Amino acid sequence: MKLLKKPKLLIAIIVFGSLFIVGLAGGGLGDAFGLGFLGAPLAALQLPAEPISSEPNIGGFHITNTMITTWITIGILLILGFVASRKIKEVPSGFQNLFEVIIEYFQKLGVGVSGKRSAQYIPLVLTIFLFILISNWIGILPGFGTIGWIEDPHLAIHHAEKKDKELSKVKLNIFNGSGNVGVLGFGSVSETVTAEEWEHDHSIVEDGKQAGILIPFLRSANTDINTTLAIALVAMFFVHFWALRTLGFFSHATKYINFKQGPIWFAVGILELISEVGRVISFTFRLFGNIFAGEVLLFAMAFLIPIIGIMPFLGLELFVGLIQAYVFSMLTLVFASVAGAAHDDH
Amino acid sequence: MDALGINLPGLVTQLVSFAILFAVLWMLLYKPISKAMGDRSKKIQDSLEAADKAREEVNSSKEAMEKQIAESRAEGQKMIANAKDIADKFKEEELAKAREEINAEKQRAEADIQRERDAAIDGLRREFASIVVDAAEKIVEKSIDKSQHTDLIDTVVKESAVLRKDK
Repeated sequence: MKLLKKPKLLIAIIVFGSLFIVGLAGGGLGDAFGLGFLGAPLAALQLPAEPISSEPNIGGFHITNTMITTWITIGILLILGFVASRKIKEVPSGFQNLFEVIIEYFQKLGVGVSGKRSAQYIPLVLTIFLFILISNWIGILPGFGTIGWIEDPHLAIHHAEKKDKELSKVKLNIFNGSGNVGVLGFGSVSETVTAEEWEHDHSIVEDGKQAGILIPFLRSANTDINTTLAIALVAMFFVHFWALRTLGFFSHATKYINFKQGPIWFAVGILELISEVGRVISFTFRLFGNIFAGEVLLFAMAFLIPIIGIMPFLGLELFVGLIQAYVFSMLTLVFASVAGAAHDDH
Repeated sequence: MDALGINLPGLVTQLVSFAILFAVLWMLLYKPISKAMGDRSKKIQDSLEAADKAREEVNSSKEAMEKQIAESRAEGQKMIANAKDIADKFKEEELAKAREEINAEKQRAEADIQRERDAAIDGLRREFASIVVDAAEKIVEKSIDKSQHTDLIDTVVKESAVLRKDK
Protein backbone atom coordinates (compact mmCIF):
# COMPACT_ATOMS: atom_id res chain seq x y z
CA MET A 1 0.00 0.00 0.00
CA LYS A 2 2.79 2.33 0.84
CA LEU A 3 4.37 1.59 -2.52
CA LEU A 4 1.31 2.85 -4.39
CA LYS A 5 1.83 6.27 -2.88
CA LYS A 6 5.31 6.49 -4.32
CA PRO A 7 4.93 6.04 -8.08
CA LYS A 8 8.64 6.64 -8.78
CA LEU A 9 9.68 3.83 -6.49
CA LEU A 10 7.04 1.55 -7.95
CA ILE A 11 8.20 2.28 -11.51
CA ALA A 12 11.80 1.66 -10.52
CA ILE A 13 10.91 -1.67 -8.96
CA ILE A 14 8.94 -2.72 -12.03
CA VAL A 15 11.71 -1.69 -14.42
CA PHE A 16 14.47 -3.35 -12.46
CA GLY A 17 12.35 -6.43 -11.83
CA SER A 18 11.54 -6.93 -15.48
CA LEU A 19 15.13 -6.28 -16.48
CA PHE A 20 16.18 -8.89 -13.97
CA ILE A 21 13.71 -11.42 -15.36
CA VAL A 22 14.74 -10.66 -18.95
CA GLY A 23 18.42 -10.94 -17.99
CA LEU A 24 17.83 -14.15 -16.07
CA ALA A 25 15.97 -15.77 -18.91
CA GLY A 26 18.08 -14.43 -21.76
CA GLY A 27 21.49 -14.84 -20.16
CA GLY A 28 23.77 -17.73 -19.47
CA LEU A 29 21.47 -19.17 -16.80
CA GLY A 30 18.49 -19.17 -19.18
CA ASP A 31 20.67 -20.71 -21.85
CA ALA A 32 20.89 -23.86 -19.76
CA PHE A 33 17.09 -24.15 -20.01
CA GLY A 34 16.91 -23.50 -23.70
CA LEU A 35 16.27 -19.76 -23.53
CA GLY A 36 19.32 -17.53 -23.60
CA PHE A 37 17.97 -15.25 -26.32
CA LEU A 38 20.31 -12.39 -25.40
CA GLY A 39 23.26 -14.46 -26.58
CA ALA A 40 25.63 -13.33 -23.84
CA PRO A 41 29.12 -14.68 -24.56
CA LEU A 42 31.54 -15.81 -21.89
CA ALA A 43 34.93 -14.22 -22.25
CA ALA A 44 37.96 -16.48 -22.38
CA LEU A 45 39.90 -15.45 -19.29
CA GLN A 46 43.49 -16.39 -18.80
CA LEU A 47 46.10 -15.49 -16.23
CA PRO A 48 48.84 -13.98 -18.42
CA ALA A 49 48.24 -10.59 -19.94
CA GLU A 50 47.46 -10.81 -23.63
CA PRO A 51 49.33 -8.97 -26.37
CA ILE A 52 47.29 -6.31 -28.15
CA SER A 53 48.13 -7.64 -31.61
CA SER A 54 49.15 -10.91 -33.17
CA GLU A 55 52.51 -9.54 -34.31
CA PRO A 56 55.17 -8.17 -31.95
CA ASN A 57 55.03 -4.39 -31.81
CA ILE A 58 58.54 -3.07 -31.36
CA GLY A 59 61.55 -5.25 -32.04
CA GLY A 60 60.01 -8.54 -31.01
CA PHE A 61 58.38 -7.01 -27.97
CA HIS A 62 54.71 -7.64 -27.29
CA ILE A 63 52.81 -4.77 -25.82
CA THR A 64 50.15 -6.31 -23.59
CA ASN A 65 46.71 -5.00 -22.72
CA THR A 66 47.68 -4.51 -19.07
CA MET A 67 50.58 -2.30 -20.16
CA ILE A 68 48.11 -0.15 -22.09
CA THR A 69 45.97 0.18 -18.96
CA THR A 70 49.04 0.97 -16.88
CA TRP A 71 49.96 3.77 -19.26
CA ILE A 72 46.40 5.10 -19.34
CA THR A 73 46.43 5.12 -15.53
CA ILE A 74 49.76 6.93 -15.50
CA GLY A 75 48.41 9.41 -18.04
CA ILE A 76 45.31 10.09 -15.94
CA LEU A 77 47.41 10.56 -12.81
CA LEU A 78 49.84 12.88 -14.55
CA ILE A 79 46.98 14.99 -15.91
CA LEU A 80 45.32 15.09 -12.48
CA GLY A 81 48.63 15.92 -10.86
CA PHE A 82 49.29 18.65 -13.39
CA VAL A 83 45.82 20.14 -12.97
CA ALA A 84 46.12 19.99 -9.19
CA SER A 85 49.56 21.57 -8.93
CA ARG A 86 49.43 23.96 -11.89
CA LYS A 87 48.04 26.79 -9.81
CA ILE A 88 48.77 26.21 -6.17
CA LYS A 89 46.36 28.33 -4.19
CA GLU A 90 46.54 29.30 -0.59
CA VAL A 91 42.90 28.44 -0.15
CA PRO A 92 42.76 25.07 -1.91
CA SER A 93 39.92 23.96 -4.12
CA GLY A 94 39.22 21.25 -6.66
CA PHE A 95 41.90 18.65 -7.27
CA GLN A 96 44.42 20.47 -5.11
CA ASN A 97 42.02 20.05 -2.23
CA LEU A 98 41.46 16.38 -3.06
CA PHE A 99 45.17 15.58 -3.17
CA GLU A 100 45.81 17.62 -0.04
CA VAL A 101 43.25 15.51 1.79
CA ILE A 102 44.91 12.29 0.61
CA ILE A 103 48.45 13.51 1.34
CA GLU A 104 47.49 14.80 4.75
CA TYR A 105 45.73 11.52 5.55
CA PHE A 106 48.86 9.52 4.79
CA GLN A 107 51.09 12.02 6.58
CA LYS A 108 49.02 11.68 9.74
CA LEU A 109 48.93 7.93 9.37
CA GLY A 110 52.71 7.90 8.90
CA VAL A 111 53.31 10.07 11.94
CA GLY A 112 51.10 7.73 13.94
CA VAL A 113 53.01 4.67 12.74
CA SER A 114 56.60 5.83 12.81
CA GLY A 115 56.76 9.45 13.90
CA LYS A 116 58.92 12.01 12.13
CA ARG A 117 60.74 9.34 10.15
CA SER A 118 57.61 8.77 8.08
CA ALA A 119 57.95 11.97 6.02
CA GLN A 120 60.29 10.23 3.55
CA TYR A 121 57.84 7.34 3.03
CA ILE A 122 54.87 9.45 1.97
CA PRO A 123 55.66 10.10 -1.74
CA LEU A 124 55.93 6.39 -2.52
CA VAL A 125 52.95 5.45 -0.36
CA LEU A 126 50.92 8.12 -2.13
CA THR A 127 52.02 6.93 -5.57
CA ILE A 128 51.16 3.31 -4.74
CA PHE A 129 47.75 4.30 -3.43
CA LEU A 130 46.85 6.51 -6.38
CA PHE A 131 48.15 4.10 -9.02
CA ILE A 132 46.38 1.04 -7.63
CA LEU A 133 43.18 2.97 -6.97
CA ILE A 134 42.92 4.53 -10.41
CA SER A 135 43.95 1.39 -12.28
CA ASN A 136 41.43 -0.70 -10.32
CA TRP A 137 38.67 1.80 -10.91
CA ILE A 138 39.22 2.29 -14.62
CA GLY A 139 39.51 -1.49 -14.93
CA ILE A 140 35.79 -1.93 -14.35
CA LEU A 141 34.76 0.61 -16.97
CA PRO A 142 32.76 -0.72 -19.92
CA GLY A 143 35.01 -1.73 -22.82
CA PHE A 144 37.61 -3.35 -20.58
CA GLY A 145 37.81 -6.99 -21.57
CA THR A 146 35.03 -6.74 -24.14
CA ILE A 147 36.62 -4.90 -27.06
CA GLY A 148 39.62 -6.46 -28.71
CA TRP A 149 41.12 -8.22 -31.68
CA ILE A 150 39.99 -11.66 -32.74
CA GLU A 151 42.71 -14.25 -32.49
CA ASP A 152 42.77 -16.62 -35.41
CA PRO A 153 41.96 -20.26 -34.54
CA HIS A 154 45.33 -21.37 -35.97
CA LEU A 155 47.13 -19.04 -33.61
CA ALA A 156 44.91 -20.04 -30.68
CA ILE A 157 45.66 -23.71 -31.32
CA HIS A 158 49.35 -22.95 -31.67
CA HIS A 159 49.36 -21.18 -28.30
CA ALA A 160 47.36 -23.97 -26.68
CA GLU A 161 49.74 -26.61 -27.96
CA LYS A 162 52.68 -24.64 -26.63
CA LYS A 163 51.10 -24.77 -23.19
CA ASP A 164 50.22 -28.48 -23.48
CA LYS A 165 46.54 -27.63 -23.25
CA GLU A 166 44.00 -30.10 -24.60
CA LEU A 167 42.29 -28.81 -27.72
CA SER A 168 38.91 -30.02 -26.52
CA LYS A 169 39.17 -27.52 -23.68
CA VAL A 170 40.02 -24.55 -25.89
CA LYS A 171 36.77 -22.80 -26.67
CA LEU A 172 36.41 -20.71 -29.80
CA ASN A 173 33.68 -18.15 -30.11
CA ILE A 174 32.03 -17.82 -33.50
CA PHE A 175 31.68 -14.11 -34.22
CA ASN A 176 29.03 -12.71 -36.48
CA GLY A 177 30.76 -10.77 -39.24
CA SER A 178 34.37 -10.58 -40.26
CA GLY A 179 37.15 -8.14 -39.45
CA ASN A 180 39.99 -8.04 -37.01
CA VAL A 181 38.30 -6.10 -34.25
CA GLY A 182 35.48 -7.71 -32.30
CA VAL A 183 33.17 -6.79 -29.47
CA LEU A 184 31.93 -9.18 -26.86
CA GLY A 185 28.25 -8.37 -26.43
CA PHE A 186 24.69 -9.40 -26.97
CA GLY A 187 24.35 -11.19 -30.26
CA SER A 188 27.95 -10.63 -31.32
CA VAL A 189 28.69 -14.30 -30.72
CA SER A 190 26.37 -16.87 -32.23
CA GLU A 191 27.81 -20.00 -30.68
CA THR A 192 30.88 -21.60 -29.20
CA VAL A 193 32.86 -24.50 -30.55
CA THR A 194 35.93 -26.22 -29.19
CA ALA A 195 39.21 -26.02 -31.04
CA GLU A 196 39.13 -29.75 -31.52
CA GLU A 197 35.83 -29.56 -33.39
CA TRP A 198 37.14 -26.73 -35.52
CA GLU A 199 40.34 -28.57 -36.37
CA HIS A 200 38.28 -31.59 -37.33
CA ASP A 201 35.97 -29.67 -39.63
CA HIS A 202 36.63 -26.08 -40.66
CA SER A 203 33.22 -25.83 -42.30
CA ILE A 204 31.61 -25.78 -38.89
CA VAL A 205 31.87 -21.99 -39.25
CA GLU A 206 29.26 -20.63 -41.63
CA ASP A 207 30.06 -18.09 -44.31
CA GLY A 208 30.19 -14.51 -43.08
CA LYS A 209 31.20 -15.63 -39.61
CA GLN A 210 34.56 -16.33 -38.09
CA ALA A 211 35.85 -18.45 -35.27
CA GLY A 212 38.39 -17.15 -32.83
CA ILE A 213 39.16 -15.87 -29.36
CA LEU A 214 38.62 -12.26 -28.45
CA ILE A 215 41.77 -10.76 -27.05
CA PRO A 216 40.81 -7.52 -25.29
CA PHE A 217 42.75 -4.34 -25.91
CA LEU A 218 42.25 -3.22 -22.35
CA ARG A 219 42.46 -5.22 -19.17
CA SER A 220 42.66 -4.06 -15.57
CA ALA A 221 46.35 -3.48 -14.87
CA ASN A 222 46.40 -5.39 -11.61
CA THR A 223 45.08 -8.58 -13.19
CA ASP A 224 48.63 -8.97 -14.47
CA ILE A 225 51.13 -10.37 -11.98
CA ASN A 226 53.88 -8.37 -13.67
CA THR A 227 52.21 -5.15 -12.54
CA THR A 228 51.62 -6.20 -8.95
CA LEU A 229 55.07 -7.76 -8.69
CA ALA A 230 56.63 -4.58 -10.05
CA ILE A 231 54.85 -2.45 -7.44
CA ALA A 232 55.76 -4.93 -4.70
CA LEU A 233 59.42 -4.93 -5.77
CA VAL A 234 59.58 -1.13 -5.85
CA ALA A 235 57.88 -0.97 -2.46
CA MET A 236 60.23 -3.49 -0.83
CA PHE A 237 63.26 -1.94 -2.53
CA PHE A 238 62.43 1.40 -0.95
CA VAL A 239 61.57 -0.20 2.40
CA HIS A 240 65.13 -1.56 2.56
CA PHE A 241 66.63 1.58 1.07
CA TRP A 242 65.04 3.69 3.82
CA ALA A 243 66.06 1.17 6.47
CA LEU A 244 69.67 1.31 5.25
CA ARG A 245 69.61 5.08 5.27
CA THR A 246 68.12 5.26 8.76
CA LEU A 247 70.06 2.46 10.45
CA GLY A 248 73.23 2.19 8.41
CA PHE A 249 74.39 -0.88 6.50
CA PHE A 250 75.71 -2.94 9.39
CA SER A 251 72.78 -2.44 11.68
CA HIS A 252 70.30 -3.33 8.96
CA ALA A 253 72.23 -6.31 7.58
CA THR A 254 72.67 -7.95 10.98
CA LYS A 255 68.90 -8.32 11.20
CA TYR A 256 69.23 -11.03 8.58
CA ILE A 257 72.74 -12.41 9.00
CA ASN A 258 73.58 -12.49 12.66
CA PHE A 259 76.62 -14.47 13.91
CA LYS A 260 77.26 -12.66 17.12
CA GLN A 261 74.36 -13.75 19.30
CA GLY A 262 74.56 -17.47 18.71
CA PRO A 263 72.87 -19.99 16.46
CA ILE A 264 69.29 -19.17 17.49
CA TRP A 265 69.62 -15.58 16.39
CA PHE A 266 71.28 -16.74 13.20
CA ALA A 267 68.22 -18.90 12.48
CA VAL A 268 65.94 -15.97 13.32
CA GLY A 269 67.85 -13.88 10.82
CA ILE A 270 67.37 -16.48 8.12
CA LEU A 271 63.66 -16.61 8.93
CA GLU A 272 63.51 -12.83 8.64
CA LEU A 273 65.15 -13.09 5.23
CA ILE A 274 62.55 -15.63 4.11
CA SER A 275 59.73 -13.47 5.45
CA GLU A 276 61.02 -10.56 3.39
CA VAL A 277 60.57 -12.70 0.27
CA GLY A 278 57.20 -13.74 1.64
CA ARG A 279 56.20 -10.10 1.89
CA VAL A 280 56.92 -9.52 -1.77
CA ILE A 281 54.87 -12.58 -2.68
CA SER A 282 51.97 -11.70 -0.40
CA PHE A 283 51.98 -8.12 -1.74
CA THR A 284 51.91 -9.44 -5.30
CA PHE A 285 49.26 -12.09 -4.93
CA ARG A 286 46.94 -10.24 -2.57
CA LEU A 287 46.42 -7.44 -5.06
CA PHE A 288 46.47 -9.69 -8.12
CA GLY A 289 44.12 -12.23 -6.56
CA ASN A 290 41.55 -9.70 -5.45
CA ILE A 291 41.40 -7.81 -8.70
CA PHE A 292 41.55 -10.87 -10.92
CA ALA A 293 38.82 -12.55 -8.89
CA GLY A 294 36.75 -9.39 -9.23
CA GLU A 295 37.25 -9.47 -12.98
CA VAL A 296 36.15 -13.11 -13.12
CA LEU A 297 33.14 -12.31 -10.96
CA LEU A 298 32.10 -9.43 -13.20
CA PHE A 299 32.47 -11.54 -16.35
CA ALA A 300 30.54 -14.40 -14.78
CA MET A 301 27.71 -12.15 -13.62
CA ALA A 302 27.58 -10.39 -16.99
CA PHE A 303 27.30 -13.82 -18.59
CA LEU A 304 24.81 -15.37 -16.16
CA ILE A 305 22.41 -12.45 -15.69
CA PRO A 306 23.11 -9.88 -18.38
CA ILE A 307 22.11 -6.20 -18.14
CA ILE A 308 21.47 -6.03 -14.43
CA GLY A 309 23.30 -8.84 -12.67
CA ILE A 310 26.59 -6.97 -12.79
CA MET A 311 25.37 -3.83 -11.03
CA PRO A 312 25.82 -4.72 -7.34
CA PHE A 313 29.18 -6.27 -8.16
CA LEU A 314 30.39 -3.11 -9.88
CA GLY A 315 29.78 -1.34 -6.56
CA LEU A 316 31.59 -4.14 -4.77
CA GLU A 317 34.55 -3.85 -7.15
CA LEU A 318 34.77 -0.09 -6.56
CA PHE A 319 35.02 -0.88 -2.87
CA VAL A 320 37.52 -3.70 -3.33
CA GLY A 321 39.65 -1.48 -5.57
CA LEU A 322 39.79 1.20 -2.88
CA ILE A 323 40.47 -1.30 -0.09
CA GLN A 324 43.28 -3.00 -2.01
CA ALA A 325 44.91 0.35 -2.80
CA TYR A 326 44.66 1.31 0.86
CA VAL A 327 45.98 -2.03 2.10
CA PHE A 328 48.97 -2.00 -0.25
CA SER A 329 50.00 1.56 0.64
CA MET A 330 49.32 1.04 4.34
CA LEU A 331 51.40 -2.16 4.44
CA THR A 332 54.25 -0.39 2.65
CA LEU A 333 54.15 2.26 5.35
CA VAL A 334 54.08 -0.34 8.13
CA PHE A 335 56.89 -2.44 6.62
CA ALA A 336 58.99 0.68 6.15
CA SER A 337 58.34 1.68 9.73
CA VAL A 338 59.21 -1.78 11.09
CA ALA A 339 62.33 -2.12 8.93
CA GLY A 340 63.46 1.38 9.93
CA ALA A 341 63.14 0.63 13.64
CA ALA A 342 66.42 -0.18 15.34
CA HIS A 343 67.35 -3.70 16.52
CA ASP A 344 66.78 -3.21 20.19
CA ASP A 345 63.67 -1.14 19.76
CA HIS A 346 61.38 -3.92 20.88
CA MET B 1 56.23 -18.59 -14.07
CA ASP B 2 55.03 -18.64 -17.62
CA ALA B 3 51.64 -20.02 -16.62
CA LEU B 4 51.23 -17.15 -14.18
CA GLY B 5 52.19 -14.73 -16.91
CA ILE B 6 55.35 -13.46 -15.26
CA ASN B 7 57.86 -12.57 -17.95
CA LEU B 8 60.87 -10.32 -18.00
CA PRO B 9 59.76 -7.82 -20.64
CA GLY B 10 56.40 -7.36 -18.94
CA LEU B 11 57.94 -7.02 -15.51
CA VAL B 12 60.59 -4.57 -16.69
CA THR B 13 58.00 -2.49 -18.52
CA GLN B 14 55.80 -2.30 -15.43
CA LEU B 15 58.80 -1.53 -13.20
CA VAL B 16 59.97 1.28 -15.44
CA SER B 17 56.44 2.65 -15.85
CA PHE B 18 55.83 2.63 -12.12
CA ALA B 19 59.22 4.15 -11.35
CA ILE B 20 58.54 6.95 -13.84
CA LEU B 21 55.10 7.53 -12.33
CA PHE B 22 56.67 7.62 -8.86
CA ALA B 23 59.32 10.14 -9.85
CA VAL B 24 56.95 12.39 -11.77
CA LEU B 25 54.19 12.32 -9.16
CA TRP B 26 56.74 13.08 -6.50
CA MET B 27 58.02 16.13 -8.34
CA LEU B 28 54.76 17.23 -9.92
CA LEU B 29 52.22 16.50 -7.21
CA TYR B 30 53.72 15.71 -3.84
CA LYS B 31 56.40 18.39 -3.63
CA PRO B 32 54.35 21.49 -4.53
CA ILE B 33 51.27 20.40 -2.62
CA SER B 34 53.07 19.38 0.55
CA LYS B 35 55.06 22.61 0.30
CA ALA B 36 51.83 24.59 0.00
CA MET B 37 50.42 22.72 2.98
CA GLY B 38 53.54 23.37 5.03
CA ASP B 39 53.54 27.04 4.07
CA ARG B 40 49.88 27.37 4.96
CA SER B 41 50.22 25.73 8.35
CA LYS B 42 53.25 27.92 9.06
CA LYS B 43 51.32 31.00 8.02
CA ILE B 44 48.37 30.07 10.22
CA GLN B 45 50.67 29.47 13.15
CA ASP B 46 52.44 32.77 12.54
CA SER B 47 49.22 34.72 12.36
CA LEU B 48 47.90 33.06 15.50
CA GLU B 49 51.08 34.00 17.30
CA ALA B 50 50.85 37.54 15.94
CA ALA B 51 47.25 37.76 17.13
CA ASP B 52 48.27 36.59 20.59
CA LYS B 53 51.06 39.13 20.67
CA ALA B 54 48.75 41.92 19.55
CA ARG B 55 46.22 40.97 22.20
CA GLU B 56 48.92 41.04 24.85
CA GLU B 57 50.10 44.41 23.62
CA VAL B 58 46.60 45.80 23.72
CA ASN B 59 46.14 44.45 27.21
CA SER B 60 49.40 45.92 28.47
CA SER B 61 48.80 49.29 26.83
CA LYS B 62 45.30 49.33 28.29
CA GLU B 63 46.78 48.71 31.72
CA ALA B 64 49.32 51.46 31.21
CA MET B 65 46.59 53.82 30.06
CA GLU B 66 44.43 53.04 33.07
CA LYS B 67 47.39 53.55 35.33
CA GLN B 68 48.11 56.89 33.68
CA ILE B 69 44.50 57.96 33.96
CA ALA B 70 44.49 57.08 37.66
CA GLU B 71 47.74 58.96 38.12
CA SER B 72 46.51 62.08 36.44
CA ARG B 73 43.25 61.93 38.34
CA ALA B 74 45.18 61.75 41.61
CA GLU B 75 47.39 64.58 40.49
CA GLY B 76 44.38 66.68 39.55
CA GLN B 77 42.83 66.05 42.93
CA LYS B 78 46.07 67.01 44.60
CA MET B 79 46.19 70.20 42.58
CA ILE B 80 42.60 71.03 43.48
CA ALA B 81 43.35 70.40 47.13
CA ASN B 82 46.44 72.61 46.90
CA ALA B 83 44.46 75.37 45.27
CA LYS B 84 41.83 75.08 47.96
CA ASP B 85 44.48 75.34 50.65
CA ILE B 86 45.99 78.38 49.04
CA ALA B 87 42.58 79.94 48.65
CA ASP B 88 41.74 79.23 52.30
CA LYS B 89 45.01 80.68 53.45
CA PHE B 90 44.52 83.70 51.24
CA LYS B 91 41.00 84.18 52.54
CA GLU B 92 42.12 83.99 56.13
CA GLU B 93 44.93 86.42 55.53
CA GLU B 94 42.61 88.83 53.81
CA LEU B 95 40.06 88.42 56.55
CA ALA B 96 42.65 89.07 59.23
CA LYS B 97 43.93 92.06 57.37
CA ALA B 98 40.43 93.43 56.98
CA ARG B 99 39.70 92.83 60.61
CA GLU B 100 42.88 94.65 61.58
CA GLU B 101 42.05 97.55 59.35
CA ILE B 102 38.60 97.73 60.76
CA ASN B 103 40.03 97.73 64.27
CA ALA B 104 42.50 100.43 63.37
CA GLU B 105 39.73 102.47 61.83
CA LYS B 106 37.60 101.97 64.87
CA GLN B 107 40.37 103.04 67.21
CA ARG B 108 41.04 106.09 65.12
CA ALA B 109 37.38 106.94 65.16
CA GLU B 110 37.22 106.49 68.90
CA ALA B 111 40.25 108.71 69.34
CA ASP B 112 38.66 111.32 67.12
CA ILE B 113 35.45 111.18 69.07
CA GLN B 114 37.35 111.51 72.33
CA ARG B 115 39.27 114.52 71.04
CA GLU B 116 36.15 116.14 69.72
CA ARG B 117 34.43 115.57 72.97
CA ASP B 118 37.37 116.98 74.96
CA ALA B 119 37.48 119.98 72.69
CA ALA B 120 33.75 120.45 73.06
CA ILE B 121 33.96 120.18 76.84
CA ASP B 122 36.88 122.62 76.90
CA GLY B 123 34.98 125.10 74.81
CA LEU B 124 31.91 124.65 76.85
CA ARG B 125 33.85 125.18 80.05
CA ARG B 126 35.52 128.21 78.68
CA GLU B 127 32.23 129.66 77.60
CA PHE B 128 30.63 128.72 80.84
CA ALA B 129 33.45 130.39 82.77
CA SER B 130 33.11 133.60 80.79
CA ILE B 131 29.35 133.45 81.22
CA VAL B 132 29.86 132.90 84.94
CA VAL B 133 32.40 135.72 85.05
CA ASP B 134 30.06 137.95 83.16
CA ALA B 135 27.23 137.01 85.41
CA ALA B 136 29.29 137.42 88.53
CA GLU B 137 30.66 140.75 87.35
CA LYS B 138 27.18 141.87 86.79
CA ILE B 139 25.97 140.60 90.18
CA VAL B 140 28.89 141.70 92.32
CA GLU B 141 30.22 144.64 90.29
CA LYS B 142 30.48 146.89 93.09
CA SER B 143 31.07 144.77 96.25
CA ILE B 144 33.83 142.56 95.34
CA ASP B 145 37.36 143.55 94.50
CA LYS B 146 39.63 142.04 92.06
CA SER B 147 41.21 139.34 94.34
CA GLN B 148 37.93 138.18 95.75
CA HIS B 149 36.71 138.06 92.26
CA THR B 150 39.44 135.66 91.10
CA ASP B 151 38.99 133.31 94.06
CA LEU B 152 35.39 133.01 93.38
CA ILE B 153 36.00 132.13 89.79
CA ASP B 154 38.46 129.42 90.71
CA THR B 155 36.01 127.86 93.09
CA VAL B 156 33.39 127.83 90.51
CA VAL B 157 35.81 126.31 87.95
CA LYS B 158 36.85 123.63 90.38
CA GLU B 159 33.32 122.79 91.17
CA SER B 160 32.62 122.53 87.49
CA ALA B 161 35.66 120.27 87.10
CA VAL B 162 34.38 118.03 89.83
CA LEU B 163 31.11 118.08 88.17
CA ARG B 164 32.68 116.98 84.91
CA LYS B 165 34.51 114.17 86.50
CA ASP B 166 31.36 112.88 88.12
CA LYS B 167 29.77 112.66 84.83
